[in-house]
Amino acid sequence: MGRLRRSRTHHAQRDVHRAARTRARTRDIDQIQLIDLDPKNRAALEAQALDYEKPGLAQHYCVECAKYYESDTALRSHWRSKVHKRRCKALKEPAYTIEEAERAAGLGREERRSTVLPVQDPERDMIV
Amino acid sequence: MRIEKCYFCSKSVYPGHGSAFVRNDAKVFRFCTSKCHKNFKMKRNPRKVRWTKAFRKAAGKEMTIDSTIEFEKRRNIPVRYNRELIQTTVKAMKRIAEIKGRREHAFWKNRMAASREKLLAHRKKKLQKTSVKLLEPMAVDSPGAETVREKIKVPAKPRSALIAGEGRSMGMDLD
Repeated sequence: MGRLRRSRTHHAQRDVHRAARTRARTRDIDQIQLIDLDPKNRAALEAQALDYEKPGLAQHYCVECAKYYESDTALRSHWRSKVHKRRCKALKEPAYTIEEAERAAGLGREERRSTVLPVQDPERDMIV
Repeated sequence: MRIEKCYFCSKSVYPGHGSAFVRNDAKVFRFCTSKCHKNFKMKRNPRKVRWTKAFRKAAGKEMTIDSTIEFEKRRNIPVRYNRELIQTTVKAMKRIAEIKGRREHAFWKNRMAASREKLLAHRKKKLQKTSVKLLEPMAVDSPGAETVREKIKVPAKPRSALIAGEGRSMGMDLD
């Protein structure tokens, strides 16, 4: 199997609970993967209108990491960073979903049964 | 009544237990315990956390493809109550659980057989890598040091205060 947990995970992080508050929630990886990375949505996110509430007036946004930057240089240096590369790697594999959790527990989903019976071609029947 | 599954560890969440988080896109994440909820808040991937069901399935530690797993399903069409149907269902559930248990055991045994071979090969390889071999220290220091001690027989003397003339009686020495 090998090691799953990456090294250097111990930081002197304070206020973990504050960072995990619902109002401080950032976008989940499945949301980014399925919605934000879509070219149309991506273009919209990268060209946002001036927003005085956001860092850097919401002009420098990293779509993969769902993070605003103050300046273009900061954004560019972020793209070169390990954090960003790690995130890009995580986005390559399919995100974990509720359906997967249920499947792991042995709970499947029933496919929607077709209510309409398959229509047979009357002409073909005639020929045969 | 519906028994939900935990988002993180895939355990069953019974009504009145656990907690749920509803994301702003109306997706409901259910958690069996605060442990699972905290792990979710830390944005961990359940596929990479060893104690979750998702990890075990993804890493091939448990049976994933089997006909006995196919029975349990989320059905969104309610079934009208029928006495006979319930009876046969309960009977079938017991039987399926029995078969599933047997198959899981067989799967586990098979997996363990493979892992044992792997472990032995690993140990052998590790032994070859390390060049330092440990020897018994006694055997190295003095090969002939082990001497056999002879037993000396000490004549047993009756040591009792009640018997006179032993040197520790209370004065009444007999001449």
